[in-house]
Order: sequence, then C-alpha cells, then structure tokens
Amino acid sequence: MGGRDPLRYFRLEARELVDQISAGVLDLDQRPGPEPVGRLLRVAHTLKGAARVVKQKEIADRAHAFEDILVPHRSGDAPLAAEEMRELLRLNDEIAAQVALLEAPPPPEAPEPPEQPAAAAGEPAVRPAAPDPAPVPVSAPQPPPAPEPLSGPGRATTSDLDELLDAIGETNAQMMPLRDGCGTMERLHRSAEALSDQLRAGRSAVDGPVRVSAERLAAELGSASRRFTDAVDQIVRGLDDVRAKAEGLRLVPAGSIFTTLRRAVRDAADAEGRRVRFVSRGADIRMGAHLLSPASGAFLHVVRNAVVHGIEPEPERLTAGKPAEGTVTFEVERRGRWALFRCSDDGRGFDLAALRRTAQERGMLGPGDPPPADRELLDLVLHGGISTSPKVTEVAGRGIGMDAVRDVAAQLHGEVRVRSTPGEGATVELVIPLTLLSMTGLMVEAGGATATVPLDAVRGCLRLSAAEAATATSSGRILYDGSAAPFLPLAEVLYTGDTVPDVPGTGAAVVLNCTAGTLAIGVDRLCGTSALVARPLPDLAPASPIISSVSVEADGRPRLVLDPEGLATEVLRRHGSGAGTAASPAAEPLPVLVVDDSLTTRMLERSILESAGYQVELAASGEEGLEKARASRYGLVLSDIDMPGIDGFTLVERIRADPELSGVPCVLVSSRAGAEDRERGRSAGADAYVVKGEFDQEELLAHIRRLVVRS
Amino acid sequence: MTGRTVAERVNRLRTDFDRSFAEPARTVGADSVELLAIGVGGRPYALRLSQASGVHPDRAVTALPTPVPALLGVAGFAGAVVPVYDLAALLGHPIPERPRWLVLTTGAPPLALAFHRLDHHLRVPVVDVVEGSIGDAGPGTYLQGLVRLPDGNRPIVDVPATRALVHQLAGHQPDPKETS
Repeated sequence: MGGRDPLRYFRLEARELVDQISAGVLDLDQRPGPEPVGRLLRVAHTLKGAARVVKQKEIADRAHAFEDILVPHRSGDAPLAAEEMRELLRLNDEIAAQVALLEAPPPPEAPEPPEQPAAAAGEPAVRPAAPDPAPVPVSAPQPPPAPEPLSGPGRATTSDLDELLDAIGETNAQMMPLRDGCGTMERLHRSAEALSDQLRAGRSAVDGPVRVSAERLAAELGSASRRFTDAVDQIVRGLDDVRAKAEGLRLVPAGSIFTTLRRAVRDAADAEGRRVRFVSRGADIRMGAHLLSPASGAFLHVVRNAVVHGIEPEPERLTAGKPAEGTVTFEVERRGRWALFRCSDDGRGFDLAALRRTAQERGMLGPGDPPPADRELLDLVLHGGISTSPKVTEVAGRGIGMDAVRDVAAQLHGEVRVRSTPGEGATVELVIPLTLLSMTGLMVEAGGATATVPLDAVRGCLRLSAAEAATATSSGRILYDGSAAPFLPLAEVLYTGDTVPDVPGTGAAVVLNCTAGTLAIGVDRLCGTSALVARPLPDLAPASPIISSVSVEADGRPRLVLDPEGLATEVLRRHGSGAGTAASPAAEPLPVLVVDDSLTTRMLERSILESAGYQVELAASGEEGLEKARASRYGLVLSDIDMPGIDGFTLVERIRADPELSGVPCVLVSSRAGAEDRERGRSAGADAYVVKGEFDQEELLAHIRRLVVRS
Repeated sequence: MTGRTVAERVNRLRTDFDRSFAEPARTVGADSVELLAIGVGGRPYALRLSQASGVHPDRAVTALPTPVPALLGVAGFAGAVVPVYDLAALLGHPIPERPRWLVLTTGAPPLALAFHRLDHHLRVPVVDVVEGSIGDAGPGTYLQGLVRLPDGNRPIVDVPATRALVHQLAGHQPDPKETS
C-alpha cells in the first residue's frame, strides 16, 4: 500500500470534485444562472489548484479552460451557448477520464491516450458481446457512449475499507485478553471479599490485622476491577462504533450513480434533438457497490433507450397533448431485503405491433396460436427470445438494454419487469436482493445464546415474571394489546445441542410484526439495540429458516440475525395454522406445486417459497401441473393464469372436479388485475388471487400460510 | 531435582548445538512432509500442513441452529464468517466435548474443521508416510495414508475428501476446480 503515494489524497479529492463538476454541468444545463456558474467555477478552481500541487498539468489545464468558458457568465442569467455547453461537457469528460486514469492501478498495459477519453472510460463491461444500439437508424449519428464520470461507485475505497475493518478486527482480537482480565479481576475481588467475610466471622482475635488487610485488599481489588472494566468497556464500545461506521461505509448511496445516468440522458437527448428532463428519486438509499455498479451499467442502456426510442419528437408530443419536454424518471427504492431500480418514461411505449409482427415472422409463435397478449410479447423481449435479433432491434430498439438488465438480474439473482402502455410510456424495473443490509437490531439473549432481531419488526417488549413465563410457555400464547399472540421461547428454536449454562429462564417477550400477524418470542434478557450490517450466511452453513443472516460483532465473533418471517413460520408450525385449532405440533406443510410457463416466475416463486420454509415442486404447463397433482400429494397449488394449453382457470376447475384433488387449495397468480378475472378465478374455485403487478411476496406467503395443507 | 548441574546442562546444549552443524541440512521438499499430529474425538490423527491455511485455538464459535449435525456453527476470521464443522463427527466418532482447535482448510468456499487436541507439529521423511486409502467405504474414505511416528501410527486426514463430504452435507455444488 502506498504510504508514500503522493497522489493518494489527490485521487480522493479529485474524484469528489469531478463528481461535483459532472453534476454541476448538468444542473447548469437545466437551470442556467449565475449561481450554478459560480459554484462550478469554485469547484473547477479548487481542482486546478490541487492538480497543480501534485503536478497533474493535464487536469489543471483543462480545469483552467473550463473556468475560461464560465467566467464571462458569472453574472447575468443568459444561458450558455450550445457550443459552450458542449465544450464544458467535453472538458468535464476529459477531466473525468484523467482522474480515472490516476485511479487505475499501475497500468498493466499502456493507458489510452488522453485524447480518447471515451474509449478509455467507456461502456461498463456489462455485456461485452452485445453491440451498442448502433444499427438503430437515427437521424443524427449516435454519439460515442458517454464516459462514466464515476469509475464505478465506491470501487476505489473497497479495499481500503477491508483493510480498515481487518485492522479493527485485529485490535478487537487483541482486546480479548483484556476482557478476560476483567473477569479475572472480578473473580479475585469476590474471592478477597469472601476471604474477609470468613475472617470477620472467625473466632480468633489474632486475625485482627489480617482481617483488616484482607478487607483493604478486597476494597482495592473491587475499585481496580471497576475502573479496569469501565475502561475496557469504553474502548470496546468505541471500537464497536468505529466498526459499525466503517461497515456502513461499505454501502454506497444510490445517488452516486445518478449523475452518470443523467448525463447519458442528456447526451442522448442532445443527439436526438429532444428535450428531456431527468428526474431521480432515492439518492440516499445505501447498498453495496457490487450491486450498484452493475445496476448502473445496465440502466445506462435503459435510460438512453428511453430517450432514443421512447420520447417522441416535440411536435408529436404536442399533438398527443403531452408536455413538449419528455421526462425520464429513475428511482431507487428499498423494499425490505430487496432493492428496486425503476426507469420510466412518458414516451410512446414499446412498439407492440412491430414486435408482434416480428415474433410471428420469426416463427416464435405457431401459425395456429392466437395472437400473443401484450404481456407475453414483453416477456419475449425480456427473456431474450427475440431481443438479440438485429431485425427486432431495428424495430423495437430496446433489445440491448433489455439484455443488459436481464444479465444483471441473473448475475445478482434478481428479477426484471417491463410494463408498457402505448402512447403513455414504458417502465423497466429491476429488483435485486440486498446482500449487505444495514439495520438496527435488538439484541436478545436466550438459552445462553445471543441473537439479533431486526428492530423494524419489533412491535413491543413485555417483561415477564417467572409465573407469566411459565404460563406463556405451556399455553403457547401471550396476551398483548388485547389479543392472544402465539408465543415461542426462543431458546427452543435456537437450541443447538450445547449444554445450556445456568440461565435465569425466560424473562421477557419480544412481540414481532410479521405478515401472518403478531407473534411473541420469549427471551431471557434484552441487551439493547445496536447498528449492524447483516450479511448472508456463508456457503456450507445451511441454517434453520429462523436465521436470516449474520453480522460480525466488534470482537470478530459472528452473531445470528433472526428472521421474523421464519420465526412466524416456526411458531405457526408448532401451533398448527390459523385460528388456534391446535393441529399436531409436528405438522409439516405438504409441498407446494408451482405451475407457470415462465421459467423466471417459477424460479422466483420457488425461491420465495423455499426461503419461507416450504418444499416446492415445479410444473411448466397446466397439463404437467395436473399430472403432477394427480401423482403426488400437495399442500397447495400456485398457478399462473395465462399459459398455453390448459390455463390457470381451467387447471383450478379440473382440480375442483377431481374427487381426489378437490381439497387442495389453489392460488392464482396473474398480471390480470381486472375485477372480472378475479371473479372468474373465484367461480373456478380458486382460494386466493394475487395480482403480479402489485406482486407482494408477503401477501402471497400470507395466503399460503393460511391455506396450505399440513401432513 | 535430578542432580544435574548447570554445567552439565550447558555442556549438553553445546554439544547439541555443535552437532546440528554436522548434520546435513534438512530441506523442506520432496523428501519430507509437514504434519500436524492432532487428537480428534479422543483418537490420534495427522493432518498435512499443506492442506491447512491456519490453526487457531479457542476461537469463539457461534452455534447455529442447523439440520446438519456436524456443523458446529460459524466463526469470524478477519471479518469473514466461516462455517465450522466438527471433524470428529465427520470422521464418524463424535464426542460430547467441544473441540478447542480450528484448522482453516485450503480451498474455497472457506471452511474450518474443529478438532480437540493439537499434539505436535512435525516434519517426517516421506518414507515414514505410508500412502494408500484406509478402507474404501465409511469414514475411512476421508483418511489418506498413515504416518509412522514414535508414539504410534496415525491415519492422515484427507482434507479435500473431507471438504467434499462437507459440500455434500451442506447441499453445496462441489467446485470442480477444487482439488487441493
């Protein structure tokens, strides 16, 4: 590591300044005025100064040129000429590329000459095989892909952070003997006290001076032990704090990718001669750079396509009664353990007619097949069926972007959804599971083990007397907020076969909110809350579904994070499902049969169900579903509606008509949201109907928990 | 109180020291093997040092509720969370006593094996290692060869085979590249 690296700090500063310049230029572009000019001038000036100090002439010169353009506009509201704006953007890119070169590790090969920044920093390597949508016939020549002003969020800091965390971990490990020492001191103190007590009770007067000495010894040991313990505690707390903050730094705000996307929108709009506004939301949501980087790379294509193929030319928009300026919105949201990226535009939507034609021409739809629904067409685009064909790319033009998003989804175990309304716009959504999740946890102790409950699932805590705890344990219920919540002593499910040390027994109940309702877990002790970063359990460590993840404590020791949903499943499993009719406590749910013709949906539903503790079997068509249902016992059938051959409605009807199967609960999952479809599902005999568009896995699981048949 | 004088001891140390120069230089290479003599579930075994990337005593292991009985839990190593398996259980003779020692194995994903006693670290001539699989089924599959030592013969634990067993128990797809 470069302790003597003269550029170390310049790199950090320059990166930050370049980020500010990149965002500032785009601000200025959208909202001219002396204020953004002034801010840009200050930043460029700082960069110039810093670059001169470390002899980075290239950067300093460009920062100077940048200033030269801006100075005449320091006062006055007149917008910069288009040519000046372009020059600013060009300089911005060159500076960014120069800074990126500094950040590159000592070059394995000669770096690109600075005259070609676009080639050096160019496209993120999301899909090297796929060409940029170059074959798309557009009026203006496609500009070279915008260089990324950020060389991937957080990339440079990750290794530094790892080193920092390692160092903290080491220091903590070195604290271990000190902590043990605290225990030893405390024991010595108690022994000395016991000794002096014995002497006090002793008969002989000869012990007098000895007794006094023993008392003094006990008192001194007591106060030394307290001081020692306090000091150690303080250091440990301090280190813990540092560690939590450092762990938090691993997570990068989503806003760090917005500038890149905004710039891509701006460049595409410029090239196409469109006016497009970029709106972003969710800048503060933090997640691992390893998620943000690929998502940013994929959405770079998506936002560009939204401008090039979605947003209509101004006259067309005005005729359609839309504002002259198009809007591309990019949002990031966190939904529990999932992160959602969404790009929507208010353009013309996908050209479904052309897609349909091409799909038919290419023989992807049988001659006898009914014309595919819009939804299926979009699925074809999404799942690569027709996306890579240049022919379709010419027509639909969104193939490459979809490929990139789909690849990222596959790589990050996520899911892509596409919606399009002709004339109103299109939306592309990527949902990925978060691996590192920062949260506040409530630490609890049960049966000698410590675990963490995510605080946002905690509804309340109750102190229990020994008698109350015994009643709750034997009845499996506890009164909370006027109703009887299922109760489960945590020690029972955390028990790992270890001899449990002499523990006081259940002393408190933690009431948790989960989709199935409220439940309570019995714990020995509450140990306060702390900020933590939860990470997935390592490979080779299969765990009970009550464990969702693991965090690393200050002393380097892993601590288990409980999954409220898994606990709910466990509680219900022990109590029997639903309204308290106690089924056999060992009743296991029978496997769930998932019927869907889309592989992605099957896999998504399987992962949702399996992580909730269900066994899952899959069928790719109504026919296969029916065959499987007849061949084995299932606790529930979860089926899509729109499938070739036997559709979901028919499948449910056939199941209901079969005396062997008629008792199996059926849940329909569909993108059809209409009341008539729901009604049709009901009359076919479906027990529940879940709409994919508002697909809420918790809702789905709640239905399944309620309905599933147990052995 | 053996009656040995300081002078005698100094003398002995001196001759030992001198003699060490007279001996041919030992090389750690093809003609010797570095081993850890360990006690697993009350039985003696040996472990090839080349198949371990670290040995740690008294590392805290967080117990994990799991369907796999041999999985003791997880432990932290420099910020990483590593699963810990009970070697005695993997070899088919678990004992209630908690193992004290952890050996980090080579290969991926990270895996630590826990054993009860570290007897010594030794370098033995290759000729003292009798190659060959001990038993072709059952726990013997995870042993590869024997080493002859003054305190008796010890079977050598085959770490890659043990790792393969763990992968199987954990339902993990074995990595084809994983051979060492």
